[in-house]
Amino acid sequence: MPKNYPTERIRNFSIIAHIDHGKSTLADRFLDIATPGDGRKKQEQRLDSMDLERERGITIKAAAVSLELKIKGQDYLLNLIDTPGHVDFAYEVEKSLQACEGALLLIDAAQGIQAQTVANAMLALEQDMEVMPVFNKIDLPHARPDEIAQELEHVLLLESEGVLHCSAKTGKGVPAIIDEIVERIPAPKGDPKAPLRALIFDAAYDEYRGVIVYLRIVDGIIRKRDLVHMIGADANYEVLELGRYTPEPKPCDELHPGEVGYLISNIKELGDIRVGDTITVNKGERAEVLAGYREPQPMVWCGIYPVQSKDFEDLRTALDTLKLNDSSIIFEPETSEALGFGFRCGFLGLLHMEIAQERLERESGIDIVQTAPTVPYQILLTDGTTRDIHRPGDLPDPTQYNEVREPIVTSHILVPTDCIGPIMSLCSERRGVFLKQEHLSANRVMLTWDLPLAEVIYDFYDKLKSGTKGYGTMNFDEPRFFAANLVKMRILVNEVEADALSVICHADDAQRRGRAVLQVLRKEIPRHQFKVPLQAAVGGKILARETISALSKNVTAKCYGGDITRKRKLLEKQKEGKKRMKSIGSVEVPQKAFLAVLRTD
Amino acid sequence: MGDDNLRFFLDSLNEITHFRNSAAEVSIEANPESFTDAFATAAIESGCNRLSLGVQSFQPNILQAYDRVHSADEAKRAFYSARKAGFSRINLDFIYAFPGQDPKQWEADLQEAARLDPEHLSCYELAYEPGTALTKLKQAGRWEPEDEDVCQALFESTENWLSGLGYTRYEISNYAKPREECLHNLASWRSLDYIGLGTGAASWRNGIRSKNILDPRVYQKRPFEQSESEARLPEEALFDLMLMGLRLPQQGVSRKRALRQTGLDPAEYWCELFNQFKSNGWLEIKADCIRTTPRGLLLLDTILGQMLPEV
Ligand SMILES: Nc1nc2c(ncn2[C@@H]2O[C@H](COP(=O)(O)OP(=O)(O)OP(=O)(O)O)[C@@H](O)[C@H]2O)c(=O)[nH]1
Ligand SMILES: [Mg+2]
Repeated sequence: MPKNYPTERIRNFSIIAHIDHGKSTLADRFLDIATPGDGRKKQEQRLDSMDLERERGITIKAAAVSLELKIKGQDYLLNLIDTPGHVDFAYEVEKSLQACEGALLLIDAAQGIQAQTVANAMLALEQDMEVMPVFNKIDLPHARPDEIAQELEHVLLLESEGVLHCSAKTGKGVPAIIDEIVERIPAPKGDPKAPLRALIFDAAYDEYRGVIVYLRIVDGIIRKRDLVHMIGADANYEVLELGRYTPEPKPCDELHPGEVGYLISNIKELGDIRVGDTITVNKGERAEVLAGYREPQPMVWCGIYPVQSKDFEDLRTALDTLKLNDSSIIFEPETSEALGFGFRCGFLGLLHMEIAQERLERESGIDIVQTAPTVPYQILLTDGTTRDIHRPGDLPDPTQYNEVREPIVTSHILVPTDCIGPIMSLCSERRGVFLKQEHLSANRVMLTWDLPLAEVIYDFYDKLKSGTKGYGTMNFDEPRFFAANLVKMRILVNEVEADALSVICHADDAQRRGRAVLQVLRKEIPRHQFKVPLQAAVGGKILARETISALSKNVTAKCYGGDITRKRKLLEKQKEGKKRMKSIGSVEVPQKAFLAVLRTD
Repeated sequence: MGDDNLRFFLDSLNEITHFRNSAAEVSIEANPESFTDAFATAAIESGCNRLSLGVQSFQPNILQAYDRVHSADEAKRAFYSARKAGFSRINLDFIYAFPGQDPKQWEADLQEAARLDPEHLSCYELAYEPGTALTKLKQAGRWEPEDEDVCQALFESTENWLSGLGYTRYEISNYAKPREECLHNLASWRSLDYIGLGTGAASWRNGIRSKNILDPRVYQKRPFEQSESEARLPEEALFDLMLMGLRLPQQGVSRKRALRQTGLDPAEYWCELFNQFKSNGWLEIKADCIRTTPRGLLLLDTILGQMLPEV
């Protein structure tokens, strides 16, 4: 793919949808059409290239790919970005849309409009871009496109007349979508003669080649051997390689306005590349900075510590490397009495946290301990200033503040009409405030509630699913902070306070929570040679107690001649496992226990 | 195995090894349901002189939970068949610490077993070995093992009850009347050399631990090849010697023999650690032997875990 395209022959678009509505599968069909001979790549969801994506069957990262197609006798370059559908990765969608002039809004014709359909459509509409709804999975026998057309008009105020239907599975209807993209989505603007301006929208680290920068050219032309300047980072590099993803990387000599591709400059300094930064020329007329991206606002925070304290610096490098590829992660160094030196990390949700932790371990090989996640809080200090709190341990003595504020999110919950009752009670049990109820169609409604983020983030989604036979979905806006009667519950293990285990919770709920946490800890912490008392306390008041009895028996019943090797290996494994525990005072606590504090409802 | 097969097998073995003239102990294991009069006679006539019967329990509900096809009566019948055929040394295998099992029921099982007057009893606490069905149930949260404190109490009362009935605990799970210990197992607990014949069998000879090939078809073709073989360094051999020897609460580990076999005296090798174990009340270090106290025996895996070399 050596040649370049004038802007009028380029289309940049994202595929957006609710989770599992078929975005990555549709991208496969586009690839089939662009590279028909590519039969060897017959695996599904080709753009889900990360191991974790394939294992879990979901898209985690947006993936950009360039397609060359002949449409009505003309050569076109289509740059598509396949985006993730899960709420936790909405930031990826937001970033992707900023690199496009249009979006395909895919809707599963059997499931209809879901919470993330609405949320992602809003993101696109707010950016004033062309939104093209497409009904997918029309091959399903229970597809109901007519009803969904009604929902589309009702909820999103989008024209349903002439909406395209397709099956990403069979490929039916896909060519028509391509024609319509060219018709409806505007060509990118951009002046090839203006000074170079390119947006860094993503990056990855390659051990041999350094940072790989994913960029979209806005103005000017970037060429191999050019000396370029990263404005925000104030760094200069020579362009060693340019190219496009097809999805395999294909080098080229130039990238023109509207084009999307990658740049390699043997960049080893991770800090020089910031997603959202602008690239311009090093010498001559430099361009103005592009808008870049908004800072993501973390919904959950947790501590991440190396199991071996010597790995602290390596963990920092691992986090820097991960952040390059996932700019929504925020981290800062912290120390814990129990765990030593580590990092406080902010994530966009629990799934995001889980994925990030797993990527960290896999990609760096460092064993890590993760503390129980918490939502952010705000406190109003007695001197009138406010402070953000990202870990329960940081909540000062009650004499030092006037109020604790918790994050409240306005939540949109889409459910079948006959499930309204149980979901309304679920929301009010979770300290919610009802705002409104709107009918989407004859048998589906959208409920809007203000809910404390702390109540939503853990198991609310599971409860919502089980209360609606799987049909309920939800989305929520950025949190706002309101005062609430919150307390810090401290956990003492063998009389030693474990800062990494403390939680902030509602005062009325503290006792129940305390008991539940201790019960889990009693199961997760192995017996020691001494008795280990566990206590949960608010201030100086003990709310719950448990005791782990001393280890009194630890002996294998059967061991004969043939068992020696196995027995020895088992002992070695146990010893190795012990090394992976963190000690609180003289008590060794396994990683599981830190997370167990979560599973207490 | 049918009785004809048994005769053929042991006759052939005798042609090669002449074990009938030389062996101190020829032990055979059987399950009650297949141990018929004819089989018992065949075993005796082909040279066996000790029998180990997998009784497991006399309680129908436990036998069923453990997927055993025999009944308590069948087990007793097998025992009498063995006596009648001429077995003068018989062991009965039992399992205890089933979740919710009444300790009285276990005591009753032991009393009943003692009434048969076997020379030897093996009493294993129900174990959750990796990969077994019970372990999987347990991991899935569908099987709650017996409380650890109850298991400990059972471990201790088993010894009390049996010593009242004339049996001595000579190994963690093995009890015998005087001079009725199982010789070939004792040999492995004392780390004496042994050779295993047959698929997957383990050997320990000249400082090398090895295992035969497990797959019978492959084994047939290459009976002298090993699937695993590991030469143990003196320190490692010493650890293995302790791993096995400390299972014997009375004999313990002979320091002299350890020195002879590995060139190392454990009391010197683990000098510091053993002082700690001694003050914990876990080990007794004497001039000639090292052995666990009753409390140390209960914590043997903890003791061994600390003795493992740093890696
Ligand atoms: N029957 C049918 N199934 C489809 C169709 N399109 C996708 N699927 C199936 O729907 C499931 C989800 O497809 P994906 O392409 O992974 O969905 P996605 O929107 O990319 O999901 P996320 O990236 O996780 O948000 C897969 O099992 C696909 O095989 C279709 O047109 N018809
Ligand atoms: Mg996908």
